[in-house]
Order: sequence, then structure tokens, then C-alpha cells
Amino acid sequence: MRPERWWFKAPLRLKSIFRRRRAEQELDDELRFHLEQKIEEGVAEGLSPEEARYRALRAMGGLEQQKEEMRDVRGVHWLTDFVDDVRYAMRSLRRTPGLTAFVVVTIALGIGMTATPFSMLDALIFRPYPVPHPGNVVTLVSTSRDNSFENYSYREYMDIRDHTKSYDGVIANAALGTVGFSAEPGATPLVRGGMMVSGNYFRVLGVEPRLGRGFREDEDQVPGRDAVVVLGSDFWKREFAGNPAVVGRIVRLNGTAFTVIGVAPETFPGMLIFSRPDFYMPLAMARVFSTNPQKNFFIDRDDRELTLRARLKPGTPLRQARNELAVLAKGFEREYPKLNRDRGAAVHTQFEMRTRDDENNWKFGVIFTILALAVLLVACTNAAGLLLSRARTRTREIAVRLALGAGRFRLIRLLLTESLVLALLGGLGGIAVGYAGIEAMGTFSIPTELPIKIPFRMDTRVLLASLALSVLSAVFCGLAPALQSTRADLVKGLKAADVDEPGRKRFWGRNALVVAQVAMSMMLLAAAFLMFRGFQNSLRDGIGFTKDRLLMVRFDPRLVQYNGAQTQQFYKLLTERVREALGVERAALTQNPPLSLEDFGRVAFVPEGFQMPRDRENFTSTMDTVDEGFFETLGIPILRGRGFRASDAAEAPRVAVVNEQFAKHYWAGADAVGKRIRLENFAGTPVEIVGVAQKIKYRDGIDRQPDFVYLPLAQHPAARMVLLLRSSGDPLQMVKPLKDIVRRLDPNMPMLETRTYEDLYRYAAVDGPRVAVELVGALGAVGLLLAIAGLYGLVAYNVSRRTREIGIRMAIGAGPRDVLRLMMGKGLVLVAMGTVIGLVMGFAVERLMNSMLFNVGGVDLTVYLIVVPAMVLATMLAAYVPARRASRIPPTVALRYE
Amino acid sequence: MSKPNDLVQGTLDLLLLKILALEPQNGWAISLRLRSISGDVLQVSEGSLYPALHKLEQEGWIKAEWKQTENNRRAKFYSLTRPGRKQLESEAANWQRLSSAISYVVQLSEA
Repeated sequence: MRPERWWFKAPLRLKSIFRRRRAEQELDDELRFHLEQKIEEGVAEGLSPEEARYRALRAMGGLEQQKEEMRDVRGVHWLTDFVDDVRYAMRSLRRTPGLTAFVVVTIALGIGMTATPFSMLDALIFRPYPVPHPGNVVTLVSTSRDNSFENYSYREYMDIRDHTKSYDGVIANAALGTVGFSAEPGATPLVRGGMMVSGNYFRVLGVEPRLGRGFREDEDQVPGRDAVVVLGSDFWKREFAGNPAVVGRIVRLNGTAFTVIGVAPETFPGMLIFSRPDFYMPLAMARVFSTNPQKNFFIDRDDRELTLRARLKPGTPLRQARNELAVLAKGFEREYPKLNRDRGAAVHTQFEMRTRDDENNWKFGVIFTILALAVLLVACTNAAGLLLSRARTRTREIAVRLALGAGRFRLIRLLLTESLVLALLGGLGGIAVGYAGIEAMGTFSIPTELPIKIPFRMDTRVLLASLALSVLSAVFCGLAPALQSTRADLVKGLKAADVDEPGRKRFWGRNALVVAQVAMSMMLLAAAFLMFRGFQNSLRDGIGFTKDRLLMVRFDPRLVQYNGAQTQQFYKLLTERVREALGVERAALTQNPPLSLEDFGRVAFVPEGFQMPRDRENFTSTMDTVDEGFFETLGIPILRGRGFRASDAAEAPRVAVVNEQFAKHYWAGADAVGKRIRLENFAGTPVEIVGVAQKIKYRDGIDRQPDFVYLPLAQHPAARMVLLLRSSGDPLQMVKPLKDIVRRLDPNMPMLETRTYEDLYRYAAVDGPRVAVELVGALGAVGLLLAIAGLYGLVAYNVSRRTREIGIRMAIGAGPRDVLRLMMGKGLVLVAMGTVIGLVMGFAVERLMNSMLFNVGGVDLTVYLIVVPAMVLATMLAAYVPARRASRIPPTVALRYE
Repeated sequence: MSKPNDLVQGTLDLLLLKILALEPQNGWAISLRLRSISGDVLQVSEGSLYPALHKLEQEGWIKAEWKQTENNRRAKFYSLTRPGRKQLESEAANWQRLSSAISYVVQLSEA
């Protein structure tokens, strides 16, 4: 349509919507003017005024019809009708405030309970990358037998970048790592989270820096040459107060001077879900940040530390990119048979990456969402039941409307508008509930110095989803009552205020609702209880070591430019002095304490005497490097053999301690002590297993316990270590003496992440599971309450509607006892049916959750022992109260009861 | 009572546009004008006049404003808009084509 016509049309439409009264008035005036002229004409022709008026009216035809026709012409009557319907709905809802409030609160709870898990699901799965055209960004992974989501090494990255044609650029980044940051040369370094990225990172992602510039590609070519850094927006605001003069400044990262060349835009918090890098450095500067002293980042093809992403060329099918990479991976395998044996490749979309099998978070999100939807379903069933009851009491009103000529469709629309108003009110309340839920999820503190952000928030997508759900629930709970009440038989409807035939068909709807409600809440509670028990178990099993009175401090002497020898000397002196200090019972060094947020390292090995599968070169296991004080300090029992000793020095025979799981895995039935493993492969260094340690809880969450290998620090030197101190009193009192000891060793040495171990434990084993348990518990409790309330309402209503029938029964001789039995019996049959269906569904859900998360198997009957009696009790009460009341009404009154 | 289908469908719009192209008019004047120019050949019921005018207005082809008539009564005056003028041209052209085609057919001799 030509825009010029809109110039004339739009104001008219707006006028007929917003200034309806005025438009109506003008309509009237115009026709009246015509009429008067016509009358005048008649009078002029010699007719009497009455005759003239009569003639004029006849000539004009039906005035009201014309007006209606002219209103239709405006093309907005669907809207004005809707506004009328909404007004009418508001009026009629105000007449039943109790019912309205109940339905609104019910739906608000349902929607709110859904908004919270949906915000999780949104953050974990659906939220697109914060870059232009995020749909084109894919992730390239290397696949092996143990790990189908492995990273690539620098050399592999270069090959892939140079030999693929499907992409507008392939980018790489290392994991977010801790970096010692100082804004001034002399200042003590602070620990911040930095990420190494390839030179084309910002260009390929399409991210324009808000200040300065991004990396140039030549800044990522010569190792160690271009010490430049791009700051993250949050970090820039926090650390530099948003000062634009920061570009060009020199800062120190791990002691090396870097020039700030730019600041990333606010719209780009990074590509990670949970954390926002503080700054980005080019990959070519890897030597400053390397965490793996055994490997050479630039040379070793198996130093796989890089996540590869690429932007698909527009129009290139994913299949083509996959084939291309697969061919390349075959080539790698041919060229480097040792390093790339059995190694494939895969290209994944964002969705595929986020829903990867080996991740648990999104699975929780999915399960929470399913549970929440079940709660919403229960809520809607409640609302539908109530609306159905309400619709039946309005039979006469609706019959009158139908008799006066209202179309059925028009009436259904009116009734649906009513439930829409209800659902939207509920939806608004639900958004408030959801908001509170989302806030509650973000309230615990995470013990890390990495820039971790809890990403769950109420954003537009969650809002829209909630509103869409409200509309959907409106249709769900409004449609059945609307259809049923407009089908009412006119003659009967007009005769009685509230007809109720004895026919079976009529009752079917409400009975089905009762059954559905019982079944849903049963399933919900089974699931909630299972989750609850899963977490409870993981807490009750304990952690397998003593966490009390422990202080932890992380050191990284590379931050003050120590070389390997200096580092080991520092740790040696540090532990010696600390152990002598007053109030220190024990002290130990570990690369990564259990339950920490960081992942454990992995070690590749070949167990001697173990029949290797023919197509495998080695196995891998999680590992930690610890010193000789570790097992005593944490109180981890050594089941067989011994722990590490000071004599397990660099030049002494190589030794290792494994956990019982490891021992059972490779030498089931035999003693692992005395056996040997070779690191890397058959030709690798032989290491003797000298002890078997009891297994402990290594990570947070409810993962299965892994195989675990401990290696002595002296034989496997590492730079970044955590000192664990067990004090005789409050561990925080040890901070000051420890500071003095460290200052005497080196006044510049930073003490990172100084905290009690209790903090770490609280997060990993208490706060995290607590949030999940609370969420599930809330879902279950709300579901049960709603179901019981709904059940009570439905049964009570059903019984009260049979007051007249009860009167008849009693008039012909039934006793109150018979009446009660009759009424309660019906309710119990329904509950029994619901229970059976619910049990079946509950078992199915338990199976599903066991297979997805817990791997514990087994069905818990306790939950049913609680739920079934609660339901039965509610039903009996719901039947009892109105039935008793009805049985006390004198039959003469009851018979006239409407 | 005469019905609008006495007119060829859509012709009323054309007539109204044409009348308004001559000068802005109120509804009453338009009805008088219709009667005078078409005599008894085209019968337009006064009942269908106003819905037709409103439709044209909603389509953006004519616009309305309240003005005083000669004898000082307030009436709604319609006038042609620029899109309306274009519409008139195209409808008139259509009509010309249609009517000449029909008269050609009607004049065919029955051979």
C-alpha cells in the first residue's frame, strides 16, 4: 500500500480506537443533518412535518443498521469488541473476587515457578552468543575415544585455520586463566581472569571495541613479540573507573609489560556462559601465561589447550564444513600417527555445544523446567476446574445471550477473553514470583577470583516466554468451560439457574480433572523427592576427608618472575617454615584442592601387565600433584602401602599413589601396591604405585567418582600451588603469621585466594546443592498444595452441586451415613485412579532422572507413603464437609435448592 | 426500496469520487447532486450513501471536515485527497474500458 494513503488512514483508525465516543457522536450528527435536510425538503414540498419526517426516515432505511455498517467499515471493530470484552470480563470477575483471586494466585504461582527454571535454560542453552549473526558461529572439536569434545593444539589450529574453506575465519581461545595483574609497575599483582585469543578473534566475531582497537592479525604471529592487551568492559569500568585515557597505558600481566590497545564493548561480555574475561591477550604471548611447563605451546601438537570457533560462510551447509574438517583430521592422523591416533573431528552448532552429553547443568535446567511445567499444568487444571464450575452457574446468563442471538463463536470469544484477563493478571504476578526466584538463585557467593557471573536473569526472552505461557494457559483453562457452557440446551438453561443433568457425560470433564491433578502432583512429588534424595545422599556420603580448621592460600611464583628452580626452593622453604610455626598442626601443598572450581589435570599412562585393548595407546585419569604432607593434612586414609615421603625426591625412583577406584579398575582382585604404570605410553617413564588412598569427594555436584592418581611434587614440579594449613584454632588467625613468613621469603610474593577451606566446601557441597534442593522442594511443595487445593475445590463443588439429589435420597429414606459414604466413595475412586496413573508416571520420571543424572537406580517408595495419604485425606475432607452440610439440610429445603 | 445493486458494482464509488472531484460537498448535497445528474436512471438509496462515503474515507481517498453550510448549519464536508484523485483516474479509465467493451459486445450483429 502506498504510504501516502496511510497518512490519511492512520489518524482515522486511531480516532476510532481512542476517541470512540467522539466518532460515534459525529456519526450521529452527520446522519441527523441529512435527516433534517430531508425533512425540510418535505416541508418545503408542502407535507406536514410528521409526514415529512416519516418519509425521510423511510428513505434512509434503518439508521442503526447503517451506523453498524459504517462502524464495520473502520476495520477496527475486532479491537473495539475486544476492549468491550475485556471491560465486561473485568466487571464479571469483580463480582466473584474470591474466585478471581484464587485463580490469579494459582496461575501466578504456576507461571512464576516456570520462569525461574526457564531463565536457567535460557542462559544455559538458548541465549545466543553476544555477537552479530550468532547463528553462523560454530565450534570445532577434536574427538578421541575418551573425550568427544576435546580442544586443539596451537599447531593444529594453524593447520585448520589455513586449510579450511568453509569459514569466514577460524578463531581460537585458551581457557580463562588466572593472571597476575598490576596497573603500576611496583604494585603487588592482583589475580584476575585473562583469556588468550587469536589475532583475528574480534574481527571474525564482528566485535568492535568501544575504545581503541582490537588485535591486528600480525600481532599474533611472532611468539613473544607483541605484548598488547584488550580490556573487558566490566573490568575497565571497575579497575580503571571507565577512564578513556587507559588506551596506550602500560600494565603488567604476570610481570610482563603489556600495552593496552583497546576496550571491548559493553555488549560483548565474552563467549562464556558463566564468566566474563577481564582482559584478552594474543596467543603469541602464551609463554607469559603458560600453565603446563611440560609442554611447549607453540610446538607440541598434543598440547591441546585451544577452543576453536569459526564463522561459517553464508550459504555454506554445515555438512560441507563437517566433511572438510573430517578429511583434515584424517590427514592429521596419517601425518602424526602417534599423536593423532583414532582422533576425529566434529563441527558443532552453539546448541549442540551447550547440550553436550558430558555437561550436567543444562540437564538440571531441563528437569527443573519439566517439573515447573508440571506445576503449571496442575495450576491450570485448578483454574480450569474453577472456571468450569463458574461457567455452569452462569448457564442462564449464557442461555439468555444465545436466545437473544449472540453467535456461539462470539460468546466463546467473550469467555476466552475472561480467562485471558485472568491468565494475564496471573502472568504478571508470575513474573514477580519468577523474578524473586531468579534473584534467590543468584544469592550465594562463589569462592573464586575468576570473574564468574551467575548468568540467570529475567530478560526479554524469559518475559516473553512467561507471557506466551499465560496466553497458552488461558486457552487451556478457558476453552473447555467456554465450549461446554455455550453448548447448553437453551430451553433447560432458561428454565433453571444452574442445570445439572444426571447424565454421565457432563461429569466426565471434572472427574478427568481430578484424576489428572492427582496424577500430576504424584509425578511431581516423586521427581522432587528423588532430586532431594540425590543431593541429600551426596551430602550424607560426606567428603572423605577432614575439612575443619583448614586455611588455603594459592601461590604462583611466576607472577614475580621466578624460574623453576627458584619456585621449588620457595615452596620448600615455605612449607618448612610454616610447619615450624606456632598453631600449625600440619601443612601441605597441592595443585588443586578437592572440591575446587578448577578442573583437575589429566595424566596419560599405560598400566604394566594390563592387557591394553589393541586399538588404544594409553588411558587417562584425573590427577593432582601433591607434596608429602598432603594425605596427613587432609586426613585421607591410605588403605594399603604408604603415602609420599620426603625421600620421594626428584632423583629418587618415581612413585605414585592411586585411589581405590583406580586400583580396582586396573588390578581388580590383586594388590595394586608394587605395580607399575608408564606415563604417556609403553616407552614412558615407569612409575611405581606405592600406596592406595581411600576415595574422597573430588568435585562438587553429583558426578560419579573418578579414577585418581597422585604424583609427588618433587618429581613433577609445578608452579601454581595451593598451601593447605591445619591450625589448632581458628584458621583465619593463621593468616597474619603466614603473611609474615611469606614476606620474609619474598616481600613481593602475592598470596592469592586466601580463604578458609570451609568457604570452598560450603559452596561446593552446601550452597550449590541447597539452591537446587530448594528449587525442587519449592516446585514439589507448590505442586502438592495446588493439587490439594484444587482437589478440595473440585470435590467439594461436585458434592455441593448434588445437594438436591442428596435431599431426594434422604427424603426417600437414606441416612446421613449412607450419603457420606456415597459422596466420599466417589472421590476416593477418582483419587485411586489418579494415584495409579501418577505412580506409573512417577516411575517413568525416576527412570529418566536416574539415567540422566544420578545413576543410582532404584525407586523410592517413601515419597508415595507421604503423598498418597495426603491426597486421600484431602479428598475425604473435601467430600465430607459439603456432604455433611447437605445431609443436615431438611429434605424439604434441599429439594428446592438450586 | 431501491438497492445498491441497481448500480453496477463499484460504480457508486466512482460516482462519489467524481462528484467530489468537482468540489467538496456534504452528504446531503452529494445526494442531491446524485439525484440531479443521473436523473432516474441510477437510483442510489440514501441508506447506502453514508456507508459508501465512510468506506472511501477509511480507504484514504477522501477526507472529511466539519464546516458551516450556507445556512449556517454544521455539516461534514468531504473532499478528494491526492490518492483519491489517482484512484478516480484509474477507476474512470477502468470504467471506460469496461463500458466500451460491453457496448461493443452488445452491438455485435446476430449473424
